[in-house]
Amino acid sequence: MTQADLALGLTVLVGLLLRGAGLLLGGALRPDHPAIAWASTVSVATLAAFVTLAIAAPSGLLATVPLAARLAGLAGGALAWRAFGSRLLPAMLGGLATLLLARLATG
Amino acid sequence: MGATFLAFGAAVAEAGLALGWALACTGAVYGMAGQLVLLQVTATGGAALPATIAATAANARFLPMAVAIAPLLGRRRLRWLALPFIAITPWAAGMRAMPALPDARRLPWFLGFALASWCVAMAATAAGHLAAPALPVAFRAALLFANPLYFALLLAADAGRPGVAPALIAGVLAAPLAWGIGGAWGLPAAGLLGGTLAFLLRRHWPGRPR
Repeated sequence: MTQADLALGLTVLVGLLLRGAGLLLGGALRPDHPAIAWASTVSVATLAAFVTLAIAAPSGLLATVPLAARLAGLAGGALAWRAFGSRLLPAMLGGLATLLLARLATG
Repeated sequence: MGATFLAFGAAVAEAGLALGWALACTGAVYGMAGQLVLLQVTATGGAALPATIAATAANARFLPMAVAIAPLLGRRRLRWLALPFIAITPWAAGMRAMPALPDARRLPWFLGFALASWCVAMAATAAGHLAAPALPVAFRAALLFANPLYFALLLAADAGRPGVAPALIAGVLAAPLAWGIGGAWGLPAAGLLGGTLAFLLRRHWPGRPR
């Protein structure tokens, strides 16, 4: 078993435990209980750190795309998000199209 | 939703992991934030423990989501069938639709919707994994950008909800720490530290609700 397989198995297990704990605690804990609020905050912070790294300092194939093109893709997605009434699919298509164009422009 | 799983399948292929790993990850983790973080850490050669901690931190929202939806799923034992499907798409749809349904119809509705969206996720993951090697390099790179873009938009859209903005800012500020620590431990350390600091600041900030 590789480390990737082991990590996957452990993540599945812990994910089921988190969901199971939530089902058991539902009705007993208020959604604004400190433990619940802490879990939500850590979740958002981890995701925000991941997104920041994935855009600013990615690894692998995405690292071959210039930073300027990645930032242009992000800006294009945000503009499309506002222009198309906060709809995700047009926003993503707009962002990815901007990324491709910016990559062409920056060589 | 399908686009994110399509991009995830492509990212798994790019990382050199098998289709079976991609499908097991989508099918059994079934939480894209954790899936991406798990892939990021394992693909860079990270050990199982930090990868699990980072992915669990990213998917820690499973706990509050399950707490919130539990009363709508009833008290019968059959509610445990919903356990693996408590993920953002079925959860958001369920929280919106189930309160208007009679009690007896809520769990069957949730299971039907969740199973359908899970099948779409599995099919999209497989399609992304199989199609990625045939795509030109520029398109493959753009596909890898799809999920960071998706979550950047979602986080920005959520920033107005109570407690989200401080956590979001803490996570962004903690990213250089993750980069500085590097390796497999960087992301879990940044997420746990940034999230905990944001939580403590919010709780103890003068005039803020406790």
